Amino acid sequence: MGIVTDIQRFSLNDGPGIRTTIFLKGCNARCQWCHNPETFTLQPELMIYPDRCFGCGACVDFNSARMEKGLPPPREQLTLASAARCFSGALTVSGREMSVEDVMREVAQDAAYYASSGGGVTVSGGECLMQPAFTRDILIACRARDIHTALETNLLYPWQSLEELLPLLDLIMADVKLPDSDSYQLYTGLDNAQVLDNLEKLGASGMPMIIRTPVIPGVNDDETMIRTIAGQVAKARGGLLYYELLNFNPLGASKYQGLNMTDTFAGRKPLPEKRMQELADAAGQAGIPVRIG
Amino acid sequence: MRDRINKLSKDKVYSYHDRVKVLRERKIEDTRDKAGYRPFMDGDDYGAIMPPEDFHFEPIPNHENGSWYGYEGWSRNFFKLMTEHPVFIDPCDAFPNRWMTTMIWLKGGKGFNPDYPYDHLKPLQKLYGIVPGIGADAHFGGDYHLGLEGGWGGLLLKLGQYRAKNIGHDAFYDAHERTILGIQNWMRRTVAAIDDAMEVEENPSLKDNLWRMREDTRFLIDHAPETLRQACQWIAIYNMASRTYNRDGAGGQLDELLRPYYERDVKLNRITREEARYYIACLLLNDAHYYQVGGMDEHGNDLITDMSYLILEAADWLDSSCNITVRVHENMDMAFLRKGVEYLFKNKNGWPRFSGDQALSEGFMRKGYPRELAVQRVAVGCNWMSLPGLEYTLNDCVKTNNARIFEVALDEMMRAGEPSLDRLWTIFAKHTRRAVETTAEGIRFHLKHQVHNEPELMLNLLSVGPVEKGLDITEGGAMYYNMGIDGTGIATVADSFAALEQRVVNEGLLTWDEMYKALKDDYAGTRGEYIRRMLSTANRYGSGGAADEWARRVSQAFSDDVVAMDDAQVKFIPGWFSWSNTIQLGKAVGATPNGRKANEPINHGANPHPGFRKDGALTAMSNAICQIQPGYGNTAPIQLELDPNMARDDEGIDKVVSYIRTIFRNGATLLNINIINAEDILKAHENPALYPDLVVRVTGFTAYFCLLTPEFRQLVVDRILTAS
Repeated sequence: MGIVTDIQRFSLNDGPGIRTTIFLKGCNARCQWCHNPETFTLQPELMIYPDRCFGCGACVDFNSARMEKGLPPPREQLTLASAARCFSGALTVSGREMSVEDVMREVAQDAAYYASSGGGVTVSGGECLMQPAFTRDILIACRARDIHTALETNLLYPWQSLEELLPLLDLIMADVKLPDSDSYQLYTGLDNAQVLDNLEKLGASGMPMIIRTPVIPGVNDDETMIRTIAGQVAKARGGLLYYELLNFNPLGASKYQGLNMTDTFAGRKPLPEKRMQELADAAGQAGIPVRIG
Repeated sequence: MRDRINKLSKDKVYSYHDRVKVLRERKIEDTRDKAGYRPFMDGDDYGAIMPPEDFHFEPIPNHENGSWYGYEGWSRNFFKLMTEHPVFIDPCDAFPNRWMTTMIWLKGGKGFNPDYPYDHLKPLQKLYGIVPGIGADAHFGGDYHLGLEGGWGGLLLKLGQYRAKNIGHDAFYDAHERTILGIQNWMRRTVAAIDDAMEVEENPSLKDNLWRMREDTRFLIDHAPETLRQACQWIAIYNMASRTYNRDGAGGQLDELLRPYYERDVKLNRITREEARYYIACLLLNDAHYYQVGGMDEHGNDLITDMSYLILEAADWLDSSCNITVRVHENMDMAFLRKGVEYLFKNKNGWPRFSGDQALSEGFMRKGYPRELAVQRVAVGCNWMSLPGLEYTLNDCVKTNNARIFEVALDEMMRAGEPSLDRLWTIFAKHTRRAVETTAEGIRFHLKHQVHNEPELMLNLLSVGPVEKGLDITEGGAMYYNMGIDGTGIATVADSFAALEQRVVNEGLLTWDEMYKALKDDYAGTRGEYIRRMLSTANRYGSGGAADEWARRVSQAFSDDVVAMDDAQVKFIPGWFSWSNTIQLGKAVGATPNGRKANEPINHGANPHPGFRKDGALTAMSNAICQIQPGYGNTAPIQLELDPNMARDDEGIDKVVSYIRTIFRNGATLLNINIINAEDILKAHENPALYPDLVVRVTGFTAYFCLLTPEFRQLVVDRILTAS
């Protein structure tokens, strides 16, 4: 069994072809710009959206007196069971326990689209290797059904964890978020030495890979940084298909509120297309194919 | 009607592409003129223009109620209308005229011929919310070949020959001769008007175009077309006349129709590719008829030719409202499919749409027809297929309101007591059968009496049988009778069954009585709203769960009932399609257990209700629609709203192409796509007048957004916002 945040079918941006992306819960990094903060912890957790509450009171007592619209009870009075009684969307639970069979039942429904488009399944996170056995079992189940497999990962773990999955994978999409250890530590809470080490080994393995950098305004949106990362990618090269720059995604704001967490990057906007192209041009100087995602 | 003569630079040489650009801008002007005029709202774009302000038609009634009926009434009025019809000339256009009004609008709301009442059918039609189609017209496809082969002169000759063989059918032949003579009168006046225009137009290249326009118009009064330009013009003339008669909008397999003329012109070295594009663009501008391109022959061979490409290229030049369907099948030229997808995303005008040859032809064969016939059955209407010239169908005119049938069943069960899911299904199936029987009875009434109401004077001319037998196509003239009955509200019904199963039966969160009381109170109060949300968040059709299975079961039962209505003369074909009647049909239905409040719209066509799944996955939705195909050659279309960014590069285009191929392999029949993002549609909704060239696909048809009423705009906006 594993904890799944979401399963997204007809996914067009997580690898080749038409795919189903399985988002597993739990992440070892704490990237400050993350737009999926509900994936940080491993366990299911309550999210509260007061504006959706219409004051039925069912979250605390089925037969309760009327409550104020837009004012659900304080978080400390609520449990995951409260969310099960809420149908307004004001209380939701991020993360549900699923078996591999549950996941594959959903995955199998789009098998025909994978076959015709060269697509398949992408296991993502959080960091999917926070649930290594579950990840492995999903990949094995996909292999058994001849479904193309991809992994989205942050490379922030010992090489062995990834190495043992390689025979089960057709593609790896890995993040290199920042060029140096200090900034990695500052913005993600972890050191990048392991990232670069794993990147090198991944390159040496010849595994087809797409390396990606989320471009964050005020953090890494300058030519020097992007050029440096592109250089690191070029060095590893191996089975690199292309290096991809992903524009900042601002859609996490409401989730931070729902989790009662602080959104450090609230109010920041994605970079203009022109600027993204300039950065892509800078990355291209490393002699590798570059795309804007 | 605007004056378009001598309005452009006197010196510039207007290339064919330049002229199409001018025509496109002028079409936007014409569309702006039409905004706010009721007859032009909430329908196809049609290509019509506003008549001159001083145009007035005085009809000749032949009934005491002031209206006209039957051969005599329709043919005399049509002759008079064509004889008086305004003539419109645009020197940039290859062809003269546009249509401006139709006799069914001029007729007003007089309804079916009162000498043939059907009061005995009305109580059950009302109970089940049936759209009976009695008195509905057109909605089947003529075969343009029959007109192109002999022209108007040839058709007159044919009428004379068969008049001699069918003694006692003079009323039929008189009416059709009068119809053609009226059209020829219009063409003669057109020739004179072009002469006048040539006197005024000072641009030499446009004046030269007017000369060719005049010569071709004069030639086509009696003769069959010989060139591509003439063939396109003949089709345009027929279309305009047919629209003016009863708004008929069926087209045909355009590439195969035009190919022989183009190939002959090429062989004789008298046409360029650019010139061909211009003629086709002018034909498409003249009227956004439903045309198909591509397809396969009975051996599975691909029918895509250079003409198929030319048609897409011409539509791309025009970059406007079009109803071109690309026929998709396994052996097709995939580059052509890709080209279609590229244009769809490039122009964002809702064309082309895509049809599934395999499912459609194999389905039609289940009605006992051979493959060689089945592959000829083409998409010539909003959601529907028809054998050109061979078949009478009433397609898209007849609907059962299955959400209303569900409501009747639920009421009956709750009145009787001891509610259960099994009992509800049994009662629902009983009422579905009864509603279908009532609908079929209405169609039989129509077939018996429609000739005395509104004969098909224009489409009879392009059909095999009516002229040969001296019988209107509605009363036995056609070769085949395959009457379409579309179910509506499948998602509303399936979601209702699934919600009851999940919340009442499996989870026990509600009792039947609690649920029913909430429905009858229209989910009033906080508790009512709580129940509504509980039901609306149960498993939904389109999500890949239990509701999909309910939908499959509902469709199977409906389909079985419809085909069981067959008799020796008339067959029935089921489909799932609401057209844009979702609002009207919804107003006949109280609150339903899917959380839908009373009078709210039912679902659109075969699509799920918005919000069917958190990720809105097209694949999940498409799988569900593929599974509920009735399977006899009519459609349950997939209607998509896609973000333009989805195919912003080659890889994105490839993914959409793969998606299209997969759904048709899985049994899909028709795919309609809107390419528009949420931001743009919201801005246009706020002020439609600022977006006169925004085209959306409403259901099977495309329309200018500014010509939709606020209710229809809201439907389109809701779908797009949900998809985003």
